[in-house]
Amino acid sequence: MIHFKQAEIGYKNPLLKVTDLSLEAGKVYALVGRNGSGKSTFLRSITGQTPLLAGEITINSVSIKNANAIEKSKTIAFVESKFDGIAFLSVANYLALGRAPYTNALGRLSQADWDFVNQVANEIGIETFLQKETLSLSDGERQLCAIARAIVQETPVLLFDEPSAFLDYANKQILVDKLLQIAQEKQKCIVFSTHDLDLCIENKIEFLALKNKSLQKASGLSKLELISLLETKS
Amino acid sequence: MIQTQRINWFLVVSLLIFPLIAYFHLTVGQQEISLTDFKNAIFAYDSTNTAQLLAREFRFPRLIMACVAGAGLSLAGMLMQTLFNNPLAGPYVLGINSGASLMVAISLLTGIQFFGTNLGLISSALIGAFAAGMLMMSVVGFLKSQVSLLLVGLMFGSFTSAIVSFLEISSKAEQLKSFTLWSMGSLQNVLLEQIPLILLFFVIGIIISALIVKPLNLLVLGENAASLLGIKIQQTRIIILIITALFTGLITAFCGPIAFVGLAVPNITRILLKTQNHFYLIAGNLLIGSAFLVLCDILIQVLESEIQLPINVLTSLIGAPFVIFVLIRKMK
Repeated sequence: MIHFKQAEIGYKNPLLKVTDLSLEAGKVYALVGRNGSGKSTFLRSITGQTPLLAGEITINSVSIKNANAIEKSKTIAFVESKFDGIAFLSVANYLALGRAPYTNALGRLSQADWDFVNQVANEIGIETFLQKETLSLSDGERQLCAIARAIVQETPVLLFDEPSAFLDYANKQILVDKLLQIAQEKQKCIVFSTHDLDLCIENKIEFLALKNKSLQKASGLSKLELISLLETKS
Repeated sequence: MIQTQRINWFLVVSLLIFPLIAYFHLTVGQQEISLTDFKNAIFAYDSTNTAQLLAREFRFPRLIMACVAGAGLSLAGMLMQTLFNNPLAGPYVLGINSGASLMVAISLLTGIQFFGTNLGLISSALIGAFAAGMLMMSVVGFLKSQVSLLLVGLMFGSFTSAIVSFLEISSKAEQLKSFTLWSMGSLQNVLLEQIPLILLFFVIGIIISALIVKPLNLLVLGENAASLLGIKIQQTRIIILIITALFTGLITAFCGPIAFVGLAVPNITRILLKTQNHFYLIAGNLLIGSAFLVLCDILIQVLESEIQLPINVLTSLIGAPFVIFVLIRKMK
């Protein structure tokens, strides 16, 4: 689904080189690496927010560079860091904003759009607080809302920057369960950055490990092996 | 949906109350004018009738100007607050007024012939507003916190007022007087013949605002998230800059700088309507903004026999404490 070919990622100087990498539909990938290793930049390069210095990233054989804003918004959904909630914005209306790529110039949702919003809310398990204000929710509830908002966007690729950072243990497990379930049921390609190594190992999530300006896939490693992999100095 | 019901009720009720406020504003002046005189002043105008003349040449223009200024500044403030994702933004605090004022000061105080005319005044205010708006837009990218944008706006205001003070010292008494009068702000400076042009710009601005409701609604999520949802950020920014500068420049040229309306009213509207749907927010800001300034002007006219209260002084007296209230609410 997502292919990296000789991609050089970074600002001015390459922070990361990804020579050949394929990410598949129906799978969840955990992006891990030390602070400053380029996790966020990697995610932003997929969305095109950080243009590549060299090489190419394609999604379903279409180069990101050539996609316009609307095409991109129908291909990639990205939730950046923590969602803090917004005053006077209800959960229902927050989710509805995810339909923006499909609505007309005035942004009105059709009945089908609203049905889809409600369906996603049910799947994620947030249907009981659709009418609540986003500001009044707990961190865990808000994070689920952010994920639901991304799913409402109905894109084949979903990217999350540290979605588990502010969650308690139970909520982290719920989050991972939902991500795995969505990837399988809807055949989406999900990448999320995280520092919760245990959580990903327990749930058998494939790792994308960043170190020494390169990225490698890793799975079936123990925590110790993984940490030593991330720690290796060049 | 409970939310939409609440908003609809609010809009219906304020649409009913608004004509009453407007009528009260028309009748509040020193000379009494009957309802039939008001009617005749529109439909069967007789210029020899003093009451009708007063109504047509003074009362109506003043009411319309109060509505346009209140609504326009509030709408401009709402656009800036949404664009910068900052409840403290507004045409006055961000120095858009200051830019207009500076250019007006240059044109009034230096006494250059072209700028002395009415058209010259308007165009210099517009140029100043655009320049200040562009400056703010280019600075905002470097600022991390919401308060620092406010500080930059304040510094810009101090900087321009320093230049204005310098110009005041070096100008002639007559020019100084006309500038001082302008800077206090007045809703009575507009002439009947100028009203159609003002209304034309005003309506165009509102229509364009209504057309960017979708980008505005998405900007609430922040610029990055909005652009990932397919919004052309650069284009939206430019449209907002144009409307804001147009409204602020036009209103400042005719009424002088009016402080805080553009900051306070959008906040009040959001709190009252409890929505982030900009379709309703635009309607709410237009209604509350014009009602607010009409009420202020009623107060000014009621007190007129006792004290002379310029509009800018009154809105500052109400607005400055309100900014502190918003700040405290935000910082908690």
